[in-house]
Amino acid sequence: MTVILEARDLVKRYPVADGEVEALRGVSLQVNAGEFVAIMGTSGSGKSTMLHLLGGLDSPTSGEVVIDGIVISSLDEERRTLTRRDKTGFVFQFFNLIPLLSVAENVALPFLIAGDSTNRHTERVGDLLAMVGLADKADHRPDQLSAGEQQRVALARALATKPAILLADEPTGNLDYTTGAEILDLLWDSADRLGQTVVLVTHDARAAAYADRVLVVRDGQVRDEIALGRRRDHQAGPLIARLAELGL
Amino acid sequence: MRLSGIAWRGLLARPLRTSLAVIGVALGVAIVAATMITGASADAALRGATTDLLGSADVRLRAFSDAGFTPRTVQALRAVPEVITAAPVSERRLVVHTAPGDDERVFTLQVIGVDADVEYRIRQPRLVEGVALSPDSPTDALVPATWAARQGLRLGDELRLDGRGEGVPPLRIIGLMADTGFAALDRGEVMVVSRSTLDESFTVPAPIRYLDLDLGQEPDEIAAGLEIVRGQLEEPFIVETAADASERLASAQASFGAVAFLFGLVAMVVGAFLVGNTLAMSVGERTREFGLLRAAGTTSRQVIGLVLRQGAAIGVAGSVLGILGGIALAGAMVGFLSSTRAALVAGLPLPIGGMLLAFVLGLGVTLAGAVVPALRSARLSPVAALRPSRRSGTGLGDRLRTLLVVELLVVGAGILLFPIDRAGTPLLPLVLSLALLLGGAVITAYLLEPLGRVIGRPFEWFFGAQGLLGRANLSRDRVRTGLTVGAMMIALAAVVALGTVAESARAGAERWVASILPGGNAIRSSVPLDVESFRPTFEGTDGLQVASAVLEVPAVYVTDDSQEEVSLAGIDPNVFQDAGSLIVSGADRADAYFALRNREAVLVPEAFADRHGVGVGDTITLGQPGATSANFGVAGIVDYTIPGRTPDGALIINAADARDLFGVTAASLWVMIPQADIAPSVFASAVRDTANQLAAQPLTARDLAGDLAGSLDRLVGLFDVLALIAVVIGALGIVNTLGIGISERVREIAILRSHGMTVGQVQAMVVAEAAIMGAIAGVLAIVTGLLVAFALVGGGASADLAAGVRLPWGLLVAVILVGTGVAALAGLYPARVAASLPIVRHLKQFE
Repeated sequence: MTVILEARDLVKRYPVADGEVEALRGVSLQVNAGEFVAIMGTSGSGKSTMLHLLGGLDSPTSGEVVIDGIVISSLDEERRTLTRRDKTGFVFQFFNLIPLLSVAENVALPFLIAGDSTNRHTERVGDLLAMVGLADKADHRPDQLSAGEQQRVALARALATKPAILLADEPTGNLDYTTGAEILDLLWDSADRLGQTVVLVTHDARAAAYADRVLVVRDGQVRDEIALGRRRDHQAGPLIARLAELGL
Repeated sequence: MRLSGIAWRGLLARPLRTSLAVIGVALGVAIVAATMITGASADAALRGATTDLLGSADVRLRAFSDAGFTPRTVQALRAVPEVITAAPVSERRLVVHTAPGDDERVFTLQVIGVDADVEYRIRQPRLVEGVALSPDSPTDALVPATWAARQGLRLGDELRLDGRGEGVPPLRIIGLMADTGFAALDRGEVMVVSRSTLDESFTVPAPIRYLDLDLGQEPDEIAAGLEIVRGQLEEPFIVETAADASERLASAQASFGAVAFLFGLVAMVVGAFLVGNTLAMSVGERTREFGLLRAAGTTSRQVIGLVLRQGAAIGVAGSVLGILGGIALAGAMVGFLSSTRAALVAGLPLPIGGMLLAFVLGLGVTLAGAVVPALRSARLSPVAALRPSRRSGTGLGDRLRTLLVVELLVVGAGILLFPIDRAGTPLLPLVLSLALLLGGAVITAYLLEPLGRVIGRPFEWFFGAQGLLGRANLSRDRVRTGLTVGAMMIALAAVVALGTVAESARAGAERWVASILPGGNAIRSSVPLDVESFRPTFEGTDGLQVASAVLEVPAVYVTDDSQEEVSLAGIDPNVFQDAGSLIVSGADRADAYFALRNREAVLVPEAFADRHGVGVGDTITLGQPGATSANFGVAGIVDYTIPGRTPDGALIINAADARDLFGVTAASLWVMIPQADIAPSVFASAVRDTANQLAAQPLTARDLAGDLAGSLDRLVGLFDVLALIAVVIGALGIVNTLGIGISERVREIAILRSHGMTVGQVQAMVVAEAAIMGAIAGVLAIVTGLLVAFALVGGGASADLAAGVRLPWGLLVAVILVGTGVAALAGLYPARVAASLPIVRHLKQFE
């Protein structure tokens, strides 16, 4: 298996009024191409910080992040941004669509940012919208969509450039159970059918249960790794039982 | 902490926005204060100049005839016991040279002759440097200090008058006069010499135009003295008082007062937009905070008090700064006007009333701008304010209506409080102009989206996604962005209006000169030259086809119950018709000339016709005081005419009528028509030589139009600076609006960054948004500015604009470029802020 994403001894400290707080304390991990990995932890465990470092949104205090062979953590701001543009796709808890752009334009946003004409990518955008079940709403504005639909648009946008890794930060955190499940199904589908590498950050075991492998983060460190394997059913029972064993 | 502490903290927590609002008010107040101070300076200069011009004279007698008063009359008056002093003043327009050499320069000056022995009993000269004239100094001359400084002349420098006899020694500058008294005349292009100096070296003595009389102290004494003088004088004359002299000087700078007034109001209107918008944005941004306060039991009145306190703090700080800035700006304006003599100004008086007015206007505008957001914040229900996602509940029309009311109050207060009656400022065109500017600003909010789609296209093409997003951002808050663009538009429209008015005035000047100067060349003599005696001299000009004398006749327009002074100009109809001169309206041009050739017909200037209700086909009576009068049929109305002694200009008659009916046989103005095959420069040189022989002034159409354009450009340059200050205020509004917009969409920007938008792209997006705002403002400013120019020109705000509007194409393009460029510059700081937003922190921010 090819390692597409690697973290080597990541440390992240933030300055605070009376010194520093250490959000990550030497995290190392590897994600293989096409793998669906969940990073689980409670609030404040450092899981979101880890995702930001893995996606190149932030720089580690020390350690390295390698995406598809590029040490993104050592790049300057400009090159890190361009690498992020080429190699990653993000889905966030709040859907974060640009309200002034149509659904199709939001999906084509990475192409626009890259300076491409959206006309060249009409087919790709159409395919993605069909994949997330919104082909008939291409011209709608985000505020004309439901929360679940908006998140599906965000997912389509994240997949638009066929990124090396798709990073999802609590993508169901703002959705009801059913809608959240639809989003998770789509994420799993992209990994299973398209071979998309997915890194999901969540505190919800039911979401994490979609992953092939779950990394449990606590106090800024990866405390455990639970291998679930690729499964069509996403029963959370086995994962919850394992987490209980770990006292989580 | 008291509740009011929240108001101050609210201001201090947003230092940039607070500073922008304060600077916006300060700049607006500064322009108002500066125009008030400059106006006061101009008033003081007028008063001083009038006082110094008449000195201790109780009355000034102006000779009705061009021949002036005779020396015998002066002697006779001096013999009258009731006349304490009689000081004659002669005038002659002459070409003056500096010492011969490589740097020899040539000027045309109004040379004023005085009797040095009696002069200082009437007028004490105000000298900046040097000494006054003395009776035994035939080579001494006084010139204005500012004119000398402009020309690089100093005390002791030589000046030579064209047309003086051989062997006459040159004049020497012995004194530099302050810009008052004689130096206030003719835009300071004057020279004062002894009357004997002016007469002795010329063939024909300079006519005595004025007699300034000191008749005593008491009004009865003066009235009695004047009666006796009337009995002594044989020549017709007109009595002028200090008020007449003041009015004559004031009319020269009437347009200055009007335009300064307009710009003061424009700055306040733009400032009001900025302040109103800033406070509205500030309140909108703090809705949740107000909701919390309301939920905690703060009353509506307390919330209103909070917002108004903030407005008052901004208003007081801005107004105080504005007054100080206004004094500095006025210093620069007065310095500029004084050095260029674009207007007559004196010192830097600080009119307490005017300064107070500027302060009150600044504070009032800010408070008025705060009222609407204060009321809106007080009306908010706590539940609505605390709701996580809110949309403005107020429509475009509602928000514009309230702001428009505030603006109308500002304009109304300005019109009521400004001294608009000074210098005859025409009110209607100004009110119409302000209405157009305000209306244009309101329409801007409605046109923002459709115009943005069109004007944003080139930016989308140039900037790509950043241009698209920048353009799309315009429609986030149409009112906020619309009003910001509207404020910028007003400032730019003022530039367009000013430029168009100036260009139209230039066109008018060119048409006027071309219309009254057949062949483009003429010679003007200060002394009327006998037509038959001097014709050979004129006809000796190389390359001349025809020399045509214009016989000027001082006359009166006689009605049943009054007489009004007019000037008549007797022309050769054939010469003027063949050269295509005089624009005739109300009648066929050929018919008008035909009637003129048939004698006892007159072409009247438009202003005269309008004032007296005279039309083509009417008969009017023209005559000379104490002499017979004659009836003339009105054969046409002319758009432009030969300048006369009265503001209307001359009424045109046949030269044969001037000779036969009024006995005029001498002419001061000679039209010189060149042969067809001679080069214009060669002929102009030949005309200059002839003029030199006659101590007269050569005139060319190009020089005359250039002189008019030059003096206009100096004044326009000053007002352009004021307009550009208003543009800066508009740019501050853009900084403000972009800043708020960025603070509202930090998460969106973080998303764009997370999807690979680089720092440079984020900056480009914000700059593109700003540039599109500037371009829209520029385009709308052209439309609005042109309408304002039509209003000003059509309304007769300037006397030189009868010919209508001519478009300054270069300026129109420049306004779009300046608007776009200034706005793009204004966008740089917000762009930097947007690009430096930390991605991770703002990805978590909930809107």
